[in-house]
Amino acid sequence: MSRGRAGRIGFAILVGVIIVYSLLPFLWILRSSLESSAGLSQQTSTFWPIGITLTHYRALFTEENFLRPLINSIVVAGMTTVIAVVLGSLAAYALSRLPIKGRMAVLGFVLLVSFFPQIGMVGPLFLVFRHLGWLDTYQSLIFPYLILSLPITTWILTAFFAQIPIEIEEASMVDGASIAQTIGRIFVPLALPGIFTAAILGFLLSWNDLLFALSFIHNPSMFTVPLALVNFRSAFYIHYGQIDAGVVVASIPIALVVLFLQRRIEAGLTAGGVKG
Amino acid sequence: MLLRQRSWAALGSAALLMGVLSACGSSPSASGSSNVTLVFANQGLGTELKATQTAVKGFEKLHPHIKVKIETLSANSNDAYQSLVTDFTSGSSTPDVITADVIWPAAFAAAHWIQPLSASQYHLNHFFQGMVKAGEYKGTLYAIPWFINVEGLYYRTDLVKTPPKTFSALVADAKAVQKKHPKMYGLAFEGDKYEGAVTVFQDVSGGFGGEFLNAQGKPVINSRANIKALTWLDNLIKKGISPTAVTGWEEGQVQQAFLSGNAVFATNWPYLYPLAEAQGSAVKNKVGFAPPPAIASGKVTASLGGDVLVINKNTKYPKQAEELVKYLTSSKTMTQRALISGDPPARTDAYTKSLIAQAPWFAQEEKVYKYAVPRPVTPLYPQISAAIQTALSEVYSGQASPKAALDQAQQKAKSIISNNGQ
Amino acid sequence: MASKPVTRIPGRAFRPRPGHQTYTARRARVGYLFVLPAVIMLALVSVYPLLYNAWLSLHHDVLTDPLATHFSGLANYHLLLTDSEFWGDFLRTLIFTVISVAIELVLGMVLALVVSRKFRARSLVRASILIPWAIPTAVSAMLWKMFFDQRTGFVDFFLGLLHLPGSHEVWFNSPFWAWLPIILSDMWKNTPFVALLLLAGLQGIPHELYESARIDGANAWQIFWRVTVPLMKPTILVALIFRTLSALLIFDTIFVMTGGGPGISTEVVSYYNWYQFMTSLNFGYGAAISVGITIIAMALAFLYVRLMRQGGGFQV
Repeated sequence: MSRGRAGRIGFAILVGVIIVYSLLPFLWILRSSLESSAGLSQQTSTFWPIGITLTHYRALFTEENFLRPLINSIVVAGMTTVIAVVLGSLAAYALSRLPIKGRMAVLGFVLLVSFFPQIGMVGPLFLVFRHLGWLDTYQSLIFPYLILSLPITTWILTAFFAQIPIEIEEASMVDGASIAQTIGRIFVPLALPGIFTAAILGFLLSWNDLLFALSFIHNPSMFTVPLALVNFRSAFYIHYGQIDAGVVVASIPIALVVLFLQRRIEAGLTAGGVKG
Repeated sequence: MLLRQRSWAALGSAALLMGVLSACGSSPSASGSSNVTLVFANQGLGTELKATQTAVKGFEKLHPHIKVKIETLSANSNDAYQSLVTDFTSGSSTPDVITADVIWPAAFAAAHWIQPLSASQYHLNHFFQGMVKAGEYKGTLYAIPWFINVEGLYYRTDLVKTPPKTFSALVADAKAVQKKHPKMYGLAFEGDKYEGAVTVFQDVSGGFGGEFLNAQGKPVINSRANIKALTWLDNLIKKGISPTAVTGWEEGQVQQAFLSGNAVFATNWPYLYPLAEAQGSAVKNKVGFAPPPAIASGKVTASLGGDVLVINKNTKYPKQAEELVKYLTSSKTMTQRALISGDPPARTDAYTKSLIAQAPWFAQEEKVYKYAVPRPVTPLYPQISAAIQTALSEVYSGQASPKAALDQAQQKAKSIISNNGQ
Repeated sequence: MASKPVTRIPGRAFRPRPGHQTYTARRARVGYLFVLPAVIMLALVSVYPLLYNAWLSLHHDVLTDPLATHFSGLANYHLLLTDSEFWGDFLRTLIFTVISVAIELVLGMVLALVVSRKFRARSLVRASILIPWAIPTAVSAMLWKMFFDQRTGFVDFFLGLLHLPGSHEVWFNSPFWAWLPIILSDMWKNTPFVALLLLAGLQGIPHELYESARIDGANAWQIFWRVTVPLMKPTILVALIFRTLSALLIFDTIFVMTGGGPGISTEVVSYYNWYQFMTSLNFGYGAAISVGITIIAMALAFLYVRLMRQGGGFQV
């Protein structure tokens, strides 16, 4: 069946194109980050880097002190995720199994917040933080990042928790277990996958931000990773190699997280997006 | 009910968390013991930071009760500006002493954020007058020049015998070299959409007899001289004397083009010279620094840059802050800095024989300083500059003719001034 | 008064004894307490700034001129309506949104269809398309900027290899072509999200419908348009609304790649808004622009809510 074979070859090509398109930009930057400065100064580039070297990575961590932004990003995104998961879990628990009036209103409000434009927060938050002396601090990022991650965390957790049958908890309580024991021994283990997924997505959303960091952080020692990368361009001696290395270092941890937690991420995105 | 207790515990821990967070983060603070700590906000990295640290150590030795904490500002001029504005508008008493770009004191003074300084303490006659003027606002002195920067014309001494004195001579020289070495760039200049493009434009504009604001402070951005200047710059790209890539170049890329030996001429600042003469440089001993060209009815113009020192109006230690400024701007400290970082001293008596012996290029640079012209000294300059940057970018990308673009910039500048900070 | 027999059906109230709350009421109280922290936090960091914005927009407030702050009524809005640069940005943003969302929907659908099939490299494909989504927008923009660099970029290398025109082209210097890397970068990062949404919707379609259509003699093309698309309408609309909102608000990519240049040919509303706040330090005018943008975003939000209501309410 030539039509079948042609179809299969066409499909294979399509798959190939998809993989190449997704990974090629990243691989090219990886290649450039390993090329010597002399090679990068050439008028045109070649497929294989000229003069493979790790100097750019070394310079990245010694001259540009890139470790600092990495730490800042991890701390900020981490703290934001912890708060978002705690507050979101509490709210999701209530929304999914406690008889509160106005569930729709709360969910609607949470949804509405996720539609608020980020740029609309920048001005007022800048003035407020300035007044509080919070500019160039971790909290000036953690609070705004909650706007980004708390809504989706709450949504995902609500959707996940709703799938956990309430009967199991009620059966445990009927059997005489206290509320604490029920939540601790029955509910939490079942909820952990959902919590984990929400945490990953919340972390990624916080790590992703540039606008808030750009507006509230001006002290180089408090830069987050995207902000630090953006500021590379402004230094007088711009080494393309270092920018490339910075991009690679900023992307690899994320790429690894995605590779290992791919299913969870997909589940989270669809639960948050499709289930309405 | 245990559930209720749990919920209060949850609320309590959330509140506790927030309380803990509020204590997190870093911010500079002055110590309150018998020692005085000054916070010195400074923009330099690399060798410039080293030079600053060396100077500060020397100061602390002389004044054992004063400690100086160096607060590094972003290398990006806009970011550093915003950072300082933030500190000032919140009424903070730190930083005490600030390194300001030469275009900032006017804005700071107008907003009453920095202290007036008494000229008599500083022997101003030793400083380059162009820079001193840039630190004055409404007749009062607010800033002391620290190091001077001028944007001049770098040229390859092995390819060009004498630096060109007119614009057509520059083009002719460049073309001649390009004939023999077709891959070379004639002139590498900064054409990206940022402040550096404006300083290049200022060099050329002055050379054609133009300026940005006239003596009365009114914008004359679309004068005939300026249109001619912008047309000349644009033609460099169109005629292949400068590569199209310059439209994305800032100082770093121009530096790379010149230091790798690919450019005959380059517009850049003095920091480039020591790099060109460093070990292993492809252009070692082949580099010269000259004033930009001019036509007969124009003026040789080298855009004035550099840094000045200002004092926070709300500082808790005005006397100590002045001591620091005096020390940093003494000729000995300036000479020391020049050797470490390449920053040219802002006073003539710092150009000692030993300095010239160790770094002979300072002699060439000194010759260019007398042509230094500051950019408009007004608090609205950042916004006027943005309008000019847009105009330059539109011309270089072929979206508008020089006349149309400059007309638009003129309109914008007029409305900025009339709205007084639109 | 005798109470009814005790029934252990959770949620069903006992007859309330005077002075005691019912079981349900107590649980509801706990529920409110659990929900309160999240709601308060969100209100604090989002609703409060928006209200502050509205208040700011009615004032003349420029940070470098603190003594001149005064109430100015609708002056900032009048300025906004007559600001040609803003409306130019608005038009550009709109065109970019239409183009990029259309591309992302089509490509996302293709990706979803591909991944919904079982084939050997399926996990590899799923992983590789998810990676661009996870990389921060600013990093992705930086990546594509280097990718299009006219000396060291891949595009230059590739076009040169094939001797195609466009090699050594300075892409970012063209008011038209500068949009290409912007759109590619945006697409690279966001199509996976669209694809995943559509995939979930795709997997919700029962196989029997495909079977019966095939039995009826329909070919793949017809099946797609007569069966798949209509059933995926709600999912498609959800993806459409989310992507439209994000595209209208694009900032990171523009800031990193072009700064609105060359000239202002790639300037978008968010960038202009940011510029007013952070460079011109004009918080009154910036606030007015923000209010305008927020209104548009809210319009999209309500569209979404209506859509969800039609689709049968929140399935939670």
